[in-house]
Amino acid sequence: MAQRILLNILQVLTVMAFAPLVRGVLNRLKERILSQRGPSIFQPYLDIWKLFHKDEVVSEHSSWIFRVTPYIVFVTPIFVTMLIPVLTSYPLFLAFMADMLGGGFILALGGFFTALAAIDTVNPYGPMGASRTRMVGFLAEPVFMIVFFTVSFVAGSTIPYIVQQHWVTPMANFFQPAHVLVMLSFLMLIIAETGSIPVDSPSGHFELAMVDESKVLEYSGRGAALMKWGSSMKSFVLFCIFLNVLVSPWGLASGQTISDALLAVPLILLKIMGLVLALVVIESSLAKLRLFRIPEFLGAAFVTSVAAVITKLMEI
Amino acid sequence: MELIYILIIPLVCAGLSAMPTKRRWYPALITVIGTLLAFIEASRVALEVSSVTEVVAIKGWVSCDALGALLLLLISFVALTSAIFSWGFTGKVIAQNRPERVGRYYRRFNLFVFSMLAVPVLSQIALVWIAVELTTLLSVFLVSFPNTSEAFEAAWKFAVLTCMGAGLALFGILILYWGVTVSGGETFTWSGLVEAAPKMPPALLQTAFLFILIGFGTKAGLAPLHTWLPGVYSQTPSPVCALMSGVETSTALYAIIRLAPAVHGIHGGFPEQWMLVFGLLSVGLAAFLLIQVKEYKRLFAFSTIEHMGIILVAVGLSGAGAYFGASYQLLTHAITKSFCFFAAGATLRLTGSREIVSVRGLIRKSPFVGVSLFLGALAISGAPPFAVFMSELVILKSGISNGQYFSVGLLALFVVVAFCAIMFHVSHMVFGKVTDHSQVSALPRSYAIGIGLAAIPVCLFGVYIPGPLLNLLHLAATLLGR
Amino acid sequence: MLTTNSTILVLTALNALAGGFFLLTAFALIASRQSLACLKAFIIQSLLLAMSALLLGYQNASVSLLIVGGITIVSKVVLIPWLFLGTLAHELRTRREITQVFSITISLLISLVLVIFAYFIAVTLLGASPKQEATINLPIGLAGLFLGAYAITVRREAVPQVIGILAMENGAFFAGISIAPDFPLIAELAVAFDVLLIARIMGVLTMKVHQHTGTTAVGEMAVLREE
Repeated sequence: MAQRILLNILQVLTVMAFAPLVRGVLNRLKERILSQRGPSIFQPYLDIWKLFHKDEVVSEHSSWIFRVTPYIVFVTPIFVTMLIPVLTSYPLFLAFMADMLGGGFILALGGFFTALAAIDTVNPYGPMGASRTRMVGFLAEPVFMIVFFTVSFVAGSTIPYIVQQHWVTPMANFFQPAHVLVMLSFLMLIIAETGSIPVDSPSGHFELAMVDESKVLEYSGRGAALMKWGSSMKSFVLFCIFLNVLVSPWGLASGQTISDALLAVPLILLKIMGLVLALVVIESSLAKLRLFRIPEFLGAAFVTSVAAVITKLMEI
Repeated sequence: MELIYILIIPLVCAGLSAMPTKRRWYPALITVIGTLLAFIEASRVALEVSSVTEVVAIKGWVSCDALGALLLLLISFVALTSAIFSWGFTGKVIAQNRPERVGRYYRRFNLFVFSMLAVPVLSQIALVWIAVELTTLLSVFLVSFPNTSEAFEAAWKFAVLTCMGAGLALFGILILYWGVTVSGGETFTWSGLVEAAPKMPPALLQTAFLFILIGFGTKAGLAPLHTWLPGVYSQTPSPVCALMSGVETSTALYAIIRLAPAVHGIHGGFPEQWMLVFGLLSVGLAAFLLIQVKEYKRLFAFSTIEHMGIILVAVGLSGAGAYFGASYQLLTHAITKSFCFFAAGATLRLTGSREIVSVRGLIRKSPFVGVSLFLGALAISGAPPFAVFMSELVILKSGISNGQYFSVGLLALFVVVAFCAIMFHVSHMVFGKVTDHSQVSALPRSYAIGIGLAAIPVCLFGVYIPGPLLNLLHLAATLLGR
Repeated sequence: MLTTNSTILVLTALNALAGGFFLLTAFALIASRQSLACLKAFIIQSLLLAMSALLLGYQNASVSLLIVGGITIVSKVVLIPWLFLGTLAHELRTRREITQVFSITISLLISLVLVIFAYFIAVTLLGASPKQEATINLPIGLAGLFLGAYAITVRREAVPQVIGILAMENGAFFAGISIAPDFPLIAELAVAFDVLLIARIMGVLTMKVHQHTGTTAVGEMAVLREE
């Protein structure tokens, strides 16, 4: 029992510890592709560290939502971490609590509170960003749903641990069109959800064009640090779901011991670095879409996932 | 061997007329001789078929039965008259444009004739599809021959819509092939299909039939996919119009009605119902659109839609009499409609206007053209004693004796509406008060010869059909009802 | 024995994968905004068709399917783009956005409905026939056919319409390689020739339409419209 709890803690610690690193690598690689030097890959850690030591300024017109949001944003990815396979290929102590759909809802809760908090302050950019995120979000939602339905339809389950095994037993399952198409549309979703090009430009500093970033402009000090950390953990968790559940169910620890799980840490990091590389290539080879083109991007993701369902249906 | 010659002759003519020459009559002469030879060969084939029921050149690939022979005869006859008529038409082209266009026209003309002749001669269904598709592709540049923006628009719509139809038909044919292999059929020919049909899963047969009906129906000008047709016929040169309307639409329809014996009676007459619905829709739509028509070539275009609908209705009515009526209608429509378009072409040449309102008192300007236009209108709209009247009568009669009063009643109503519409417009054109007194240009002699030649069967076949031809029609009817 | 069995499973899955992507390219034909993108989608679609033919040919040891795959690559992947670039280079390279009758999102939704329609037709057909082999090709091919027809209907521009016609042919053959694997080879060759002829003739026609009307927005040509 203690072993299991320990494993769970290890899993959460992995996510907490390495999420900023992934963000840092992503930023660095992006700059390198543009032939610039870019910040150090440890810059996010330094940012978070610095922000924790600064004073927090909270608008006196804001309500409790504004104050609570950073904690929610910080905690929700940790909850999801307990549900999904990050290090182990077998369900951990708390994984019985919810399936993938539940995980999706928990992540959405964080997004919901971020949007509320952005409206809560009277900063004009906040509501703008919030409404745009909601636009992307409510278009992404049906796609998420369809993706989950497809996955559960194809694999016969919504529990990530079962799904992940389904793709490789037998190996031919991996090449199923439903699987490949779901991967594709989930990748598009990740791009939309993590706010990278072509949906949003996270490194842009022009408030009017921002989608995601403008919501957290009002935060400072500890709140900002938590928001930053939380959002990088959210990306990390999404990457983990994408990689461990959908793309490459290999390299997870199957043994019950701590050392097995520790061995899986570098492997998952390696996989995530591969994904980050792919994302950077996508980002730097595309231009940011106009805001009203975003529905088409998500429409494409939707069509892809529906095509996945249909091809599965058609295999009669 | 005649069948092979029939295919080779137009190809050779196409090659010869493409040769560079200064004499503009040279390709015209080649084409007239070529089509004459093809007509003679086709007559021999028809004669032979009417006595031995089938001519086989290469077994399983090139053969011709009664229905095919009928179509072959019609195509080659219309090609001949149209080639003669073209002589005068290209004379006009040369006056306005560059001489090399004449050679180009005849090359395309011959290739077009080749593609149409290939349809009844080939017995592999897959190859028939290709031949029908070729009739579209090879006539596209004949449609756009006047080189005006309207002509290009017409050609574009024609090509895109009919190619789209061909795509649907291709899928239908693939399903048919599937059905034939599933039911253990040996050959994918028309006769092999009829043999395999009873063993085929009805769902396959039915779906394939629907795809082919819609696909080739687009090309045959059946409503609601007829939209390309009026524009094309109003822009295309009249001799080409005669070919397209008289026989090209029939070749597409031929591919549909050849399925009739195979699909007969599946799912409680489901295919027949569809043929009736599409046919009646086409006839009705055409009849009412005929009323408001503004150009006389469009008038005949809508009349083509009407006649295609009538043939389809006849096949849909099913029964020996109706099948005879269908093949009879194929014959009468081809000869009469080509004649009508020649008369319309002559009218256009004389007056230089496509509008119905601007042509008045034609009979005073040129009695010959006036009379032939009126004759054509009478014949095509189904006035007695012309052939179309006879064939329509056969269809209506057999429908009544079958007890299909509703369909026959609708058909009769639409035919009467169409008759009134056509006669209303054409009698105004022919007998109305002359409005403009401009000098009319002279008519080329080849126009007169072409119209005269085309008029012979129009006037004759209503009162007398030669024995072998009648035999051929009966054979074709039995093929449809097999 | 076990290895061959799993090989067949993987081959079937790969064929199905080609089918899935075939469907996606059919959607791409409808959603793309530029002529060149349409052409690219068509080339990829043809490649997938060839891939499916080769896979099925290998699986069933059918020489004619392997030849069909070869013909497809030569005619549709090499020759047609070459013909298009020869006659319509200017038309293809214009970066102008090509419009549709409906907005792209609505078009995609309508296409989805068409795909589901194709699925139901295919289910009826497959249910009626005794032979069950590579069943995924039929519904996807039919969907490709419908989406091609839809693309022709809603596109206003010349080049995408032509590509729609060619895509319909692709769809029909994608279904054909599974339901009619031993279709007469001479017919296959003739169809390949026919497709080349379509590309050539429509290419020239597009060029001439451009010369005479000054535009290739064929959907806007309405001189001949009446009644």
